[in-house]
Amino acid sequence: MRLFLLAIGGTGSRVLKSLLMLSAAGVRPVDEDGHPVPNLEIVPVIIDPHKSNEDLKRTEALLTNYRSIRNRLYGNEVNVDGFFANRIVTLREIMSDSTIQLNDTFIFNLSAVEREKFRDFIGYDTMNEANQALTSLLFADYQLENRMNIGFVGSPNIGSVALNEIKDSDEFKALANVFNAGDRIFFISSIFGGTGAAGFPIMVKNLRQASNLDINNRDVLRRAPIGGITVLPYFNIEHNDDHRIDKADFIVKTQSALYYYKETLTGSNDSELNAIFYVGDQEVSKPYAYDPGEHGQRNRAHLVELVAAMAPLKFAGIADSRLTDQNGYPMPTMAFEFGLEKDVRDVDFLAFGSSTRHLIYEPLVRFHLLFLFLRTGLRGMIGQGFTEDEPKLKSDFLTSQFYRTLTDQFMRGYVEWLSEMYDNNRSVQLFNMGENDMSNAIHHVHTRKSLLGRKTVDNNTFKAEMNRLSRDAKYSTRTAEYKLLDLFNRAATTIVRDRYENIN
Amino acid sequence: MKQQHLIYLIAGIVVTVLFYIFRINAYESIYSVAGYSDQLYNLGLYDMIPLITIVVAWAMAAIYYFAINSVRFDRWYHWLVMLALTVMLAPIAGYMVNSSIFDENGLSYVAESLTFELVNMMWAALLFIVASFSMRWWSTNCRHTPIPQ
Repeated sequence: MRLFLLAIGGTGSRVLKSLLMLSAAGVRPVDEDGHPVPNLEIVPVIIDPHKSNEDLKRTEALLTNYRSIRNRLYGNEVNVDGFFANRIVTLREIMSDSTIQLNDTFIFNLSAVEREKFRDFIGYDTMNEANQALTSLLFADYQLENRMNIGFVGSPNIGSVALNEIKDSDEFKALANVFNAGDRIFFISSIFGGTGAAGFPIMVKNLRQASNLDINNRDVLRRAPIGGITVLPYFNIEHNDDHRIDKADFIVKTQSALYYYKETLTGSNDSELNAIFYVGDQEVSKPYAYDPGEHGQRNRAHLVELVAAMAPLKFAGIADSRLTDQNGYPMPTMAFEFGLEKDVRDVDFLAFGSSTRHLIYEPLVRFHLLFLFLRTGLRGMIGQGFTEDEPKLKSDFLTSQFYRTLTDQFMRGYVEWLSEMYDNNRSVQLFNMGENDMSNAIHHVHTRKSLLGRKTVDNNTFKAEMNRLSRDAKYSTRTAEYKLLDLFNRAATTIVRDRYENIN
Repeated sequence: MKQQHLIYLIAGIVVTVLFYIFRINAYESIYSVAGYSDQLYNLGLYDMIPLITIVVAWAMAAIYYFAINSVRFDRWYHWLVMLALTVMLAPIAGYMVNSSIFDENGLSYVAESLTFELVNMMWAALLFIVASFSMRWWSTNCRHTPIPQ
């Protein structure tokens, strides 16, 4: 199954970043029986005209790093366990139709939109006087003058016009061409901004009305299981005299959009969307710098984005029988919400409900321990133990492209993500920041008691377990990179269960 | 269990057995003194001392690879410490047996016995190396000590 993940706007990019972190940790979507969804490929497509958006750039870089790391680990294998398990591909990578020219990127090319001012895009100057007057009623002057390469600055009325052009794009045609029966589509967007709030319903409409479009697979696309998460207000912005984006408008915009969605997408008798997920937070975040787009928009990661990132995984695991009827047509919309088990400002693993803990606790802990191990342990182990089993990990491994991408780039992004979530409100403190001692790494989770005090976990604990596993394992047909991460993953699974208190 | 490792183990056992079979030649080719060597032969010490050396060498290797078997002691110099202990222990044990039996028989060859144990040191070292390369493959943490392979 392919899950086409359409991440719209700044929130889309940030949620995608959280999903990448979960995927890197090895969080996989599971079906309703708890088994990993087989043959899953995730095809993220970022839809945002604001290409200089820092959040978009950071996510794109991480996506590229993720793909390169995963390719080196598993090649084209789909069903794997462990770190970087979810296969993430670009549209270009899975296309067979050579008549459509696409860049090998995760970003939807909106060049038709992003080059011009909104007034030029709609041909304001060529309209007759009556149409100009009507347009002026619908759009404020600053909206008409808006350069769309900085996004739609919180104006869904611009986005709804501009993003309607997507259906004619090569990317949309490419998506239609590669979409097969059994594949699914999931949208990630916010409801209180401009790009996501506008793009989500328009794209759903274009998919459901695909029979009117000149594309392949129209019928399959029209019946496709479609889900979406719409992120409700969760962040605050600094006060500014420029009111193009105003926090005071967030709730009003949300209310209007929810009414609109109810009428067109998610009503009790509607089947435009198979599943809608809502997540937001009334707890006010630390204020983000006011930036309608000119300065790159770099917002701190947030708990809501982490929660939102679990929605596409949940959607991928829903049984087909709950999404489509016997004739293959979409069933009425299912709605999902999310709640913390404990309504606390400092969120650790214990604040999540048990199903969330089951999904993310062990993978994230394993990944964090991997981060600490690579930072403090591996270098000193080269030439000993498991590193000397075939395929060998020699000292030049530490300067390899793979290792540098993993540690210097992806792990740096990981720490940045953790730090930003920690430095926000609600503060997410899954791990003790800056703590290199593995025994004390997990916030509010201790190691188990033993006769001589608490058990310890350190690099030698991992080395011993990896030595044991490596002695009996056969990696001769695998790469050294695979061996290292697979051994660590297996060792960490045992160590986390044996040495840390069980919170699941 | 890799076939290659089994071959190493079998080869180690064969070398050790051959050493024991040709023990007298092995010792006397390096150190042989009329009188002292005859007494070693007559009193059965050429049976006992090489056997002690073999047991000590293999036991020390087994202790290192399977009892100690720790990631904290998996470097070549840790193995070297075990080698040093072996080349001390085997001759000491040999000397004690040697002098005890000589004393029982009213013989005194202190200087010769010490020289003989110097030779025994060399064989103990060699046997420890053979034992190490025979059994190390099954050690969890020290299988690549002293030389990664």
